[in-house]
Amino acid sequence: MLTQEENERLCQVGPDTPMGRVLRRYWTPAFQLGDLPGSDCPPIQVPLLGESFVAFRDTSGRLGFLDELCMHRGASLALGRVEDCGIRCLYHGWKYAVDGTILETPNFPGSTFKDRVKQGSYPVRESGGLGWVYLGPAGTEPPFPSFRWMAAPPAEIAISEMILDCNWMQVQEGSIDSSHVGILHLDTLAVTHPGPRAVGSFEFAGEPWDTGLAPPPSRLGFGLGWPSQDNGPKIEVEYTPFGFHYAALRDASEPGKQYVRVTAFVTPYTAFIAGTTGSVIVVPRDDTSCSLYLAAHVPGGAASGALNRGIDPSVWGPERGNRRLRIPTQDREAMASGRSFAGFRGGNRIQDAAVQMSEGRIYDRRKEHLVPADLAIIRMRRLLTDSLKLVEEGEKPLGLGEGYDFSNISGASAVIDAGARWQDLVPGNLGEPARPAVVDEVT
Amino acid sequence: MNERDRSSPRLAIVVDEACTRIFDAWEQRARVTALRVNPAVYEAVAAARPGEVRRGYPLMLLGLELVADQDVETYQPAVVKEDDAC
Repeated sequence: MLTQEENERLCQVGPDTPMGRVLRRYWTPAFQLGDLPGSDCPPIQVPLLGESFVAFRDTSGRLGFLDELCMHRGASLALGRVEDCGIRCLYHGWKYAVDGTILETPNFPGSTFKDRVKQGSYPVRESGGLGWVYLGPAGTEPPFPSFRWMAAPPAEIAISEMILDCNWMQVQEGSIDSSHVGILHLDTLAVTHPGPRAVGSFEFAGEPWDTGLAPPPSRLGFGLGWPSQDNGPKIEVEYTPFGFHYAALRDASEPGKQYVRVTAFVTPYTAFIAGTTGSVIVVPRDDTSCSLYLAAHVPGGAASGALNRGIDPSVWGPERGNRRLRIPTQDREAMASGRSFAGFRGGNRIQDAAVQMSEGRIYDRRKEHLVPADLAIIRMRRLLTDSLKLVEEGEKPLGLGEGYDFSNISGASAVIDAGARWQDLVPGNLGEPARPAVVDEVT
Repeated sequence: MNERDRSSPRLAIVVDEACTRIFDAWEQRARVTALRVNPAVYEAVAAARPGEVRRGYPLMLLGLELVADQDVETYQPAVVKEDDAC
């Protein structure tokens, strides 16, 4: 639990808030590169961290990321014309280059004004199918987080984005919460690895019901299944140069073994979920909405649409303008008959989003009752609130990863001997030499 | 009390430290029955949960009943084990 003051400091992301100042000290995923497909294509409006920006690609293919409203009279540049190496405001024709330089002021000719000031502009980089920006003070940019999946050929990188109408911490806490996986996601497990399971006294036959989940689980790295009936994992957390990683340790179905899921949290936006080939990235749009990006390496290509199948377009559509998730109607008949546990079709993301948005726009953490299985969430709050204090004292926030090779980060999902070291599954997380990602491993 | 202790305690730290101590106790196969906390922490939890106080429920943190103890530092909660004299 948190006090009201702590909760507000944790959740508010605007430029004049403590957490807003912390988040601006990291490279921030801002938009999908697919939304700016070519030179001089239409610009896009980008709500981010409680502010609004415009992103565009100029005639020579360079990306620009500027304050959205024209510095003359405040019209949105997202309505503007992208042409001849700049973006032009429709209102009075002021034109800006990708670095914010004012190129033309047609209703104020001959003035030196345009040579003395600039539109607000921010460093922007293209990587892994996403546009990343740095909104912090000039000269304080940390190392860029070049994750391993970003090095894959573009055709093998699958990106999807969902907009959720709730504070980003609710979603981020879900992404590093292992103890819900064997419960909320029973319907997904029944598709990937059918079989009986139990949640308390609820006996679940585990026959596939959410059959619209098309991608073969092994394609996205969900190959091991769920070799445990233990819903109360022991959590072990270790700090790393990028944040922390943790293991959720469960008694395995096989005697003498334990089922281990290692998840890495890269401060402040990214998680490498156990046993997958990519990342979950959660970015605040404002205090009460966020973008959830899923990024995955799909070897062999066919990445297009790989993350989007199985979700009803009326609930969520991948096209820009229809990415805002709506909680679907639960199939109460399937729940009552025991064919479905949660009653939501569409897989983990729909189930996660439904419960996270059900907590309200900004969850009041005074009321919660955490348990030890929530240790990773507890540690993330500690790390972020410690960073608040550091930044307020003029120091750098935690987890910048200076001197660390971000391509070493991985999660893991494995059955290992009881008592064996789980850290050996992810040696790169502590700064040791990289090795291939551990997706499925049985020792 | 130091300067930090005079302001509202950071429960994010208290909860993290308490959770670590619970896992440590479990590692030693001890059964944990309660959590001793500084009175300032106890008051902060009570202030955050007026409804539970009003209904007469015990104040709980991490599934354990809280016991206010002046001898406990703000950010060093202590677990009460089953065989401890409380």
